[in-house]
Amino acid sequence: MANPYIPLQMKVQRIETEDPDRTLRTYDLTFVNESEKEAFNYLPGQFCEISILGKGESPFGIASSPTEKDYLRFTVNRTGSVTNDIHYLRNGDIIGMRGPLGNWYPVDDMKGMNVLIVGGGFAFTTLRSLLIYLLDSRDDYKDITVIYGARNPDLFIYKDEIAIWKQRDDIQFHLTIDNPVDGWTDKTGFVPTVTKEVSPGPDNAMAIVCGPPVMIKYTLPVLTELGFPDERIYTSLERRMKCGIGKCGRCNIGSKYICIDGPVFSMAELKNIPETV
Amino acid sequence: MNMVRLDKQNLDNFIRELSAEYSVYAPGNTGGKTEFIPVESGDEIDFSRTVTDMSPKGIFFPPAEVLFEYDKDGVRAAQTSHRPIAVFGMRSCDARSLVMLDRVFGSAIQMPDDEKFQDPYWKEKYDSSLIFGFACNEPLSTCFCNWFSGGPYNRDGMDVSVVDAGDVYLMEPVSDKGIEIISKLSCLTDASEEDKALLEKMASDAESMMTAPLDVEGLGERLTALFDESIWDEISAKCVNCGACTFSCPTCHCFDMQDEGKGEKGKRVRIWDSCMLPIFTMEASGHNPRALSRDRVRQRVMHKYSYYPENYGEILCTGCGRCVMVCPVNLDIREVLKKFIAYNEQGK
Repeated sequence: MANPYIPLQMKVQRIETEDPDRTLRTYDLTFVNESEKEAFNYLPGQFCEISILGKGESPFGIASSPTEKDYLRFTVNRTGSVTNDIHYLRNGDIIGMRGPLGNWYPVDDMKGMNVLIVGGGFAFTTLRSLLIYLLDSRDDYKDITVIYGARNPDLFIYKDEIAIWKQRDDIQFHLTIDNPVDGWTDKTGFVPTVTKEVSPGPDNAMAIVCGPPVMIKYTLPVLTELGFPDERIYTSLERRMKCGIGKCGRCNIGSKYICIDGPVFSMAELKNIPETV
Repeated sequence: MNMVRLDKQNLDNFIRELSAEYSVYAPGNTGGKTEFIPVESGDEIDFSRTVTDMSPKGIFFPPAEVLFEYDKDGVRAAQTSHRPIAVFGMRSCDARSLVMLDRVFGSAIQMPDDEKFQDPYWKEKYDSSLIFGFACNEPLSTCFCNWFSGGPYNRDGMDVSVVDAGDVYLMEPVSDKGIEIISKLSCLTDASEEDKALLEKMASDAESMMTAPLDVEGLGERLTALFDESIWDEISAKCVNCGACTFSCPTCHCFDMQDEGKGEKGKRVRIWDSCMLPIFTMEASGHNPRALSRDRVRQRVMHKYSYYPENYGEILCTGCGRCVMVCPVNLDIREVLKKFIAYNEQGK
């Protein structure tokens, strides 16, 4: 039978450093075995466990879109022993990966709707996946509004792509930083405040929120205030997922396991779960 | 199929016969503590303790289990094929615990048929196993199986039920696998009408020795309603978060996966973990969603009596009483549950 604990072999194809402090790096991985590539089907919002054999595994949201066929993309913040080793990887190195794990953003339900994407810091990974996915079938969706905040201009990820997205006239793209910086021409202020200011309409609209817990916590009430019903607000949660298949017991919120019932939850679902954000 | 009897003098032959086809596990004494050990003869079995110090979960979910080995050529799943496992002498509470664990490891409720959510290491051992249960004639003061629809003579999770009736063991098959094995083994003889009458009397005697059960109807909902109440601070105040309750518990199944290796060679090992330990949920950033002892005690209680029942329709506790026995600060789960029920009835 299939063994869900065995990692697939992936090759590092491309590495990009996202910030001047070099704590955020983006990795494009390709499948070593072609048959595994064929069998790997995912949607925006899902995650994988990346293995550094000898160190362990950590969960990362998939930053590429399934419409990008050639690679899987992950952005990794250097913060613990596994991520530290990931940062030492070089092109051509082989690492382990299990996935795709978890559920996904409701991309089918979004068809024909306006979409609001709210993100913070380096949690923009699965939101990039979602945005690319929507843009690759642009006609299926109505207005797309993105609000993306970071502590300072250096900490945005995918800066080159952001520059391109901002040029497009079929996306409303708002960038914001926490505190004023010389030469910054976009918005200043926390994400919840900017969301209120941009005030996207709730009619026929779906809101997707992903970011640090404190950002999620203060953004959700703003969306409610703007008139978004709980069933049309989605967020992606994170815990220290380990097995990824609902067994090991550490990522639950209430009776739900983030690794299989989530990581994507609607506000309506979260309201019935204690101690979420 | 009818009841059969095994003369105690024949236990050794019985175990040897069973060993021809199965790896047999039974309660044994390992340095003053009792746990389930591999046995090849009847002499190695130690029935002196009603409840073994360690639960039998480790037979199917070992404290440390190699998931795979790796070297520079890649990853190889650990060799899992072995002879089927038979367990002799598993108490009612413990046999039930395996049914509860199988719901978690056997599949995911959301996707019951998807192999991606089936634990091959558990299934390989449990699915082919044979459980000889063992009724309790002398329940302990720490036993509370009757709180959760169990009992000293409950047969859930058994393939064959075994009762110690003095000079003989009385056995009755419970499952198809049980019928098959009973018909195969040679040292068994048909039980008499007297044996059947004796068994009925012993069962009712044992049941009458149990203390009155707590009414746990609606317990999960009560706990959820009290999630933010200060009663959790009171209950968790003396807990030292040692995790002894979780390791001795037959239904606790949280685990960690750790890599043990040097250079290019090594292995990934699954080890028992515990929601009582702060590092269990600690994230690399230092953020911990269950930072306080209260959060962790609450998680354990909620998981057993609210979350698991919500997902699977049954409380994740068999009332074996091991956590009551091993707790170094005498935190008695029965008292905890009583407090919650009383607290709610006061209208708080």
